[in-house]
Amino acid sequence: MLSISNLQASVEDKQILTGLNLEVKAGEVHAIMGPNGSGKSTLSQVLAGNEAYEVNGGSVSLEGNDLLDMSTEDRAREGVFLAFQYPVEIPGVSNLQFMKTAINNIRQHRGQDEINAAEFMKLAKQKIQQVNLDPSFLKRGVNEGFSGGEKKRNEIMQMLMLEPKLAILDETDSGLDIDALRVVADGVNALRSPDRAVIMVTHYQRLLDYIVPDYVHVLANGKIIKSGGKELALELEERGYGWLGIDEKAKA
Amino acid sequence: MTRLNALLRGSEPAASLPSSLKDFQLTKRKALDTVLLPTRKTENWKYSAKRLGDINGLPADLKTSSGLAEKTDPNTVIIENGQVAHSDIGIAGVTLKTFDMLSEDEAKVVMQGVIARSDDLQFAQLNHAEFSNGVFVSVADHTQAEQALRIIIRHSGQGISYSRVFITLGKLASLTVIEELSFDDLGGASALLNSVTDCTLSAGARMQYIRSDMDQQAQSKVIGATGVVQNRDSFFESHCLGLGTHLDRHDFRIEMAEPGAECNLNGVCVTQQQQHYDNHTSIEHIAPNCQSNESYRCIAGDQSQIVFNGRIHIHRDAQKTLGSMSNKNLLLSNGAEIDSKPELEIYADDVKCAHGTTIGQLDEQEIYYLKTRGIKDEQARQMLTLGFVLELVRANPIAEIAEQWEDKLASLLSFEQ
Ligand SMILES: Nc1ncnc2c1ncn2[C@@H]1O[C@H](COP(=O)(O)OP(=O)(O)O)[C@@H](O)[C@H]1O
Ligand SMILES: [Mg+2]
Repeated sequence: MLSISNLQASVEDKQILTGLNLEVKAGEVHAIMGPNGSGKSTLSQVLAGNEAYEVNGGSVSLEGNDLLDMSTEDRAREGVFLAFQYPVEIPGVSNLQFMKTAINNIRQHRGQDEINAAEFMKLAKQKIQQVNLDPSFLKRGVNEGFSGGEKKRNEIMQMLMLEPKLAILDETDSGLDIDALRVVADGVNALRSPDRAVIMVTHYQRLLDYIVPDYVHVLANGKIIKSGGKELALELEERGYGWLGIDEKAKA
Repeated sequence: MTRLNALLRGSEPAASLPSSLKDFQLTKRKALDTVLLPTRKTENWKYSAKRLGDINGLPADLKTSSGLAEKTDPNTVIIENGQVAHSDIGIAGVTLKTFDMLSEDEAKVVMQGVIARSDDLQFAQLNHAEFSNGVFVSVADHTQAEQALRIIIRHSGQGISYSRVFITLGKLASLTVIEELSFDDLGGASALLNSVTDCTLSAGARMQYIRSDMDQQAQSKVIGATGVVQNRDSFFESHCLGLGTHLDRHDFRIEMAEPGAECNLNGVCVTQQQQHYDNHTSIEHIAPNCQSNESYRCIAGDQSQIVFNGRIHIHRDAQKTLGSMSNKNLLLSNGAEIDSKPELEIYADDVKCAHGTTIGQLDEQEIYYLKTRGIKDEQARQMLTLGFVLELVRANPIAEIAEQWEDKLASLLSFEQ
């Protein structure tokens, strides 16, 4: 589904990704771990199409198409979804309006008619309940005044509504209490299917107790320096990153 | 230099007015001999004087078009070209009179309004000298008016018209007023609507004031002033929506005259093409323990211009004043201009007064976030632009009007032509 080869990216003239390779097949869940500042969010943002990051080498293909050549919105329409580490607050635009516009853009891209109002409301109410947020959140401005945990739930709600092919979760688990963590995990597990893939960026092993990954990768200095199965996460939990030759303190 | 008395058309006060109002007018007429038509050197007209154009050349003849002022419902009063076209209303506890029906005592109250006393407002001065009739609304003590009073102020034809409204709320009374300024189809003729509305709130009174000024004809000019005197523990809230015209000006003056008063002023202003809108607000904190909150949001696109001048004057005795003023502005094009100026004068030492003004463009992070959900660039910009003002529009207490404003703004700010 996703094939990343020798990806290099910089932000504000600072080289962050230095030759990253990753293969993700449909049906797989990959966890990307690594110390703070190793480039995890940079990778997520580059995949989603954030123009603040400059790609200066390598390639990324999504189902055989050149992902880097697509606009941000086209990537979303082709099924890429990024749950932000720091979701953006947009007062004045309601969650409902936001999601309806998003869904209709995606439907239009697929040559489908606009969603009808009743069907949309039903879907929205169902998904907001699934992430344990009060339905009143649908009417509020996007993430406006939401707590950290509510913002993360709202990201998952959006993911459930848009049903992406490739979901990238950037530290969606950070700062969550155990209930919220379960909500996030249940959301991701509900989305798992043979024709979808998930990339979970996380700093902690904890989330992986709830969403069991097929592969775990360690990102350091802008590259994947080690890959393994789910047991790699446990090993990182126990031993930290030091044994891989990464000076964690210096990076954080 | 042109003196403002050059704009006087009527030769003397209307015969039907109470004699104290006639005297008031005569005094104001005399005073106009020394008032100059503002130029860009006139401080309170610095950014807008150039828009006045050949105001002096406006003809005297104003023809009231026929059949325009169809009476629609019993909660509505219509003022057309300064004449009160329909004044019968049916809201329990609310009395409405035209100025020619006022007693001398009532006429004196009218002359004590904030705007009536503002000698620095050139066009209000002109209005004082020139109005021929007006609407006087009074709400009896303890009356909570069940329905909102709608005041439609219309201008038709080429020339200048003067509208005059005075509203007084008795002790613990409450009223919602919807004031709508509008123009008939001018067919390219130049027109100036000069309106003055003064309000007085007695102890414990509550007033909601909703004002819209949505005409967008290239030839229309609006110069309006609203004044409010707030007595003890009274509460005043305003929601204003202004769309630009050739020249559009609103002077808004609040006088916190007695302790415990509170006011919330919300304003939204959107201009496009070559339009203009100038908001001058001024809050006089005279008494201690009062609170004022002001929030204005403005969007200027194309080659249009918006002015926001927000003055807060905290007098020496106005201790424990809580003031806050926010003016946020969005420029949609390089050709647009927004001049925002907070003006704080604080003479009391124990006060809190926060203020902030910003002028910016759309936030790229927000646009990007919307795009990551599949929303196209143009649509994302449109949603954010609209969202910027909808926050305030949705605070309107009358849902029906909030919706109407939202629809209007949505069609105005849609970039897909
Ligand atoms: N917008 C930005 N501007 C400047 N530096 C940035 C920006 N985004 C990330 N960086 C820098 O790039 C490095 C990698 O950051 P990031 O990808 O956020 O790491 P991680 O998500 O793994 O913690 C850090 O040194 C960070 O300071
Ligand atoms: Mg990060």
